[in-house]
Amino acid sequence: MRGKLLPFYLVIDVSYSMSGAKLDAAARIMPAVVDALAKAPILSDKVRFGVLDFSDDAQVRLPLCDVLDENVVLPQLSVRGGTSYMAAFRLLRTEIEANVKQLKADGYAVHRPAVFFLSDGAPTDRENDWVSAFTDLTAFDKETGRGFPMFPNVVPCGVEGADPAILQRLIHPARGGKPMRMFLADAGEDAAKAITMMAEILISSILASGQSLAAGDSGILLPPEEELPGGVKSYGADDDFV
Amino acid sequence: MGAYVIGEPGRAFGSVVPAPDPAHWHRPDTVIDGYAVHYGGRTAHVRAASVRGLSHRHYGKVRQDEYLVRTTDDGRYVIAAVADGVSAGALSHRAACWAVRQGGDHLCDILSTMDAPSIPWEKLFEVIAADIADFGADLLGDRGLTAREVAERMATTASFAVLDLATGGLYGASVGDTSIWLLRGGWFPLQPVKNDGADIHTSAVRALPLPATPVLARADVQPGDVLVVLSDGVGDPLGDGAGEVGAALAELWRTPPPELEFAAQVGFARKTYDDDRTAVAVWV
Repeated sequence: MRGKLLPFYLVIDVSYSMSGAKLDAAARIMPAVVDALAKAPILSDKVRFGVLDFSDDAQVRLPLCDVLDENVVLPQLSVRGGTSYMAAFRLLRTEIEANVKQLKADGYAVHRPAVFFLSDGAPTDRENDWVSAFTDLTAFDKETGRGFPMFPNVVPCGVEGADPAILQRLIHPARGGKPMRMFLADAGEDAAKAITMMAEILISSILASGQSLAAGDSGILLPPEEELPGGVKSYGADDDFV
Repeated sequence: MGAYVIGEPGRAFGSVVPAPDPAHWHRPDTVIDGYAVHYGGRTAHVRAASVRGLSHRHYGKVRQDEYLVRTTDDGRYVIAAVADGVSAGALSHRAACWAVRQGGDHLCDILSTMDAPSIPWEKLFEVIAADIADFGADLLGDRGLTAREVAERMATTASFAVLDLATGGLYGASVGDTSIWLLRGGWFPLQPVKNDGADIHTSAVRALPLPATPVLARADVQPGDVLVVLSDGVGDPLGDGAGEVGAALAELWRTPPPELEFAAQVGFARKTYDDDRTAVAVWV
C-alpha cells in the first residue's frame, strides 16, 4: 500500500447572508489549516483536505488534496444566493465517492472522511429534498451493504442564523460507538468571530484525529467541551438546547 | 548503517525528533534478537526486531508492540509470537508483553504432551485472554474488574506460529491484525489480508482479553522458506505482499541479514506508515 489517508472536507455556506466579515472569516479557515499542517509533519503526510461551497448550487472549490503540495492554490470565496443543503449533500456524495475510488486506485488505504459543514442559515430548499440528499450521503446498512459505504462523519457547525434543530439532524453518526457532535455559536456571538472559532475546532480535530489515527485508532476525534473556545458549545444528537 | 526507504519517505521521517515516554522509562525504543537454533539436521536462523513507530516517537509514547521467540525444551519446535497493544489503552504494552510470554509458556506445555496439529488454538486463546484479564485486574489494583473493563485499559492482538523443525510443519493462529506469512521468493499470507478490498479502511481490531475466535494459519515449509510474523506496522504497508514493500523486503530477506540491519529494515521509511513495527523471521 502507498499510504493511509484521512480525508477532511470543509463545506461552506456562501449564501448572501454570509457576505462581509463572515465570508472573510470563512476564507481564512483554509490558510489556517495549511499553517497548522505545516507544523505537523506526522499529520500532513496523511491528511487530505478539500473545500466545497454551496448556495443555490454547490461547487468544489479546493479538490481534495495535500495542502502542502506546492501546486495547491487556495480558492477565493464569494457569495452567490440561497441556501440549498440538497445541492451541498449531493455534490459531497459525488465528490467523496470519486475521491475515495481514485485514492484506492492509486494504492492508498482511506479512512472514513470527515465533513465539517458550516452554515449561517436554514436550508431554502424543500425539507424532503435536503433530507433525502442527506440520507443518500449518510445511510449505510452494513448487513445488506445497501446505501453509501463511504459515508462520512458529519460535524455541523452553526453560526448566527443557523437553525440548531436542523443542524442537529445532520450529526452523523448520531449514535453508536463514536457519535459525532455539532458546534453552535452562542446566541449573540459575533458571527465572524464564531467562524474563526469553528476553524480552531476543525484544526484541533484534524490534529487530534491524526494523532489517534497514527496511534492505530480510526477516524475523527472532536475536542472535548472543556477545550472549546469561549462562545461555542457542542451538542450531541440527543441533547436539548435552548 | 543507512536508513531503508521504500517509496516516498514522507515529511515525518525526516523531521520527527524522538521523545521518550516519561511514564515508561524502563521500556526500550527498539529490541533486537538474532541467533540460530538447531534440531536434528536442521538449522533455523532467527531474526526479530520491534521498533517504536515514528508516531509514538513523535508524541513520546511507549512502544506497544512486543515479540517472543523461543523453542520448546527439546528444541524441536520454534515458537514465534507477535502482539500489538491496542493504542487506546494506556497499559496495552503490558498486555502485549504478557500475551506473548504466557502464550509461549502454554504452547511449550501443550507441545510437551501432543503434536503441533493437535494444538487447541481456541482454548489456548481463551486461556491467554483469562491470563491477561487476571494480570490486568492485578495491575490495575481491582480484582473485581471484568475482562471488558480490563480491555479498556489494556488490550492486545496476538499471533503465534509454531514451526516443527522435525517435519517442516507450520501451525499458527491470530487474534487481531498481527499476521503470519510465508516468504518463498514472494509473500504468501497464511491468513486473510486485513481490509482487502474494503472501501473504507478501518483500524478497529479484535483484541484480547475480549473473547475472539482465532484465525488459523497452516503451511509446510521447505528449505529456503522464511516464516514471518508481523505486527500491522509492517503488515499494513505490505498489504497483500505484491507491491513495492513486498518486493523490497523479499529481496532484503532472501538470506538472514545481520541483526542490526534487520531492525533497520523493519523500521523502513514509507510515507504515512508511522506505527510501531515488529517482525519475527525464521529462515529454514
